[in-house]
Amino acid sequence: MAGTGAISRAYLLLYNVTMFAGWAYALYELAKHASATNTVEGSYAAAGDTIRLFQLVSGLEILHAALGLVGGSWGAALMQWAGRSNVLFGVVAAEPEVQGSLAVGIMCWAWALSEVIRYPWYAASLAGICPRWLTWLRYTAFIPLYPLGVVGEMWAVVLALPHIKQRGLRTISMPNAGNFAFDYSLFLMVLLCLYPFLWFRLYSFLFRQRRKKLQPTAAAARKKRQ
Amino acid sequence: MAIKLVVKSRTGRDVLPDGILLPSNATVDELKARFAELKPRYYASRQRFTLPPRDGQRSGDLLVSGKKLSDYGLEDGSMLFFKDLGAQITYSTVFFWEYFGPLVVYPLFYFLPHLLYPGIKGHTSAERGTVQTLALGYWTFHYVKRLLETFYVHKFSHATMPVFNLFKNCAYYWGFAAFVAYFVNHPLFTSPPLAQAYWALAFSMACQFANFRCHIILANLRPAGTKGYVIPRGFLFDWITCPNYTAEILGWVGFTVATQTVAAAIFTLVGAAQMAQWALGKHARLRKTFDGLEGREKYPRRWIMLPPFF
Repeated sequence: MAGTGAISRAYLLLYNVTMFAGWAYALYELAKHASATNTVEGSYAAAGDTIRLFQLVSGLEILHAALGLVGGSWGAALMQWAGRSNVLFGVVAAEPEVQGSLAVGIMCWAWALSEVIRYPWYAASLAGICPRWLTWLRYTAFIPLYPLGVVGEMWAVVLALPHIKQRGLRTISMPNAGNFAFDYSLFLMVLLCLYPFLWFRLYSFLFRQRRKKLQPTAAAARKKRQ
Repeated sequence: MAIKLVVKSRTGRDVLPDGILLPSNATVDELKARFAELKPRYYASRQRFTLPPRDGQRSGDLLVSGKKLSDYGLEDGSMLFFKDLGAQITYSTVFFWEYFGPLVVYPLFYFLPHLLYPGIKGHTSAERGTVQTLALGYWTFHYVKRLLETFYVHKFSHATMPVFNLFKNCAYYWGFAAFVAYFVNHPLFTSPPLAQAYWALAFSMACQFANFRCHIILANLRPAGTKGYVIPRGFLFDWITCPNYTAEILGWVGFTVATQTVAAAIFTLVGAAQMAQWALGKHARLRKTFDGLEGREKYPRRWIMLPPFF
């Protein structure tokens, strides 16, 4: 990776391993709950604390991009982190009525499964020991998991909307000293309209990455020699 | 004596199968004019020519207007990379539209509350508060000043930018104009103390004059016809690299304090962030150009944009 010294790489390695451990534990909590109750409803109660903690910590990835420790734009990292955090902290954590839903259960599982693949891939790539099957997994698992995750998120927000509107959650009206107004349920509705477009861009980007990364190595070597 | 140059795209495709024939003492501008004759779709400002990259370079040197082909070591059979920059539009056109919008959009909220705040009971436009009227005056003055500067003061070093920027920039300026205007001119607007508004706007006006003076200095930096960087001096430039941005940001801080509106604060912050990015780039360029070596001046120690921290 460009611009990383030994200390940066050691830090990133530590970061990715820690994040993997966190999400692996969340997955364990989810699996334990699912096998005990035979459903994914109520997953948030089982793994919610862990998920909230590691989602918060993952904000560091914005800093990593901004400092050039990793590639990619900090703006993109911010958007992804903000999107997930808005759903998790802004909506789900604040609305007990949706926490037990199937939507939230699906969301938790999709997130956990994606992360326990993504972080080890980063760690292994940093250490230079990334096996081909892990790269394949990283760039294939997203195909079902991303749509699943997005559907879970959007559905959870839709379920929460009437409660948010009724409670006036995170909503402020005029008049007030700051001359500001914000309607959280309206904001969420606009976001829901934008979601498919924003998400589709990420999805197709990952497909392009997939084609690049999963190229058979002989063809890749030939291209390099040209 | 004529030379023939090979022109390819970065992907290796032949752009001109028969190459391009030019006198050996031709300039970059003559190259672009000839290219436009051969491919009329690509007028000069759309053309971007680079040399093939040397070892260690990610992309080759850019052929700059005003220089000669021989300055780049180009001779018969040399290769150039061509890139189409897309449809171009002049800076002054973009500036006009991006500043004209706010001049139209903001007053709409002041003069047409029954239309833009349907059903909201508060004061009507006849009952507009003093602060809201002052804010309208300041806002209007600010954008009229910008328009006049665009046509009578600023000297643009790059003639054009991609057309897409027109839409991007207008979306930003017009969008924020509506955002700020909506809250400042709201029927339920809560006015800060009048004294606060008067002092804050007086401060903002002082900043506008400072900003104007900075623009004049920048416009006169280079004698007509010369290119290349010059170290700005005088007025606030002795201490700050981009004092024009400093004055602009402080002007909006004053506006925010005068109107006591979160929307104005957000507008100020976003503008400041963008200007900080530009200021960093300018500061870095000046320091790199004036490195104090080989008889060149050394760029003095200056704040970038916002003393005392930045």
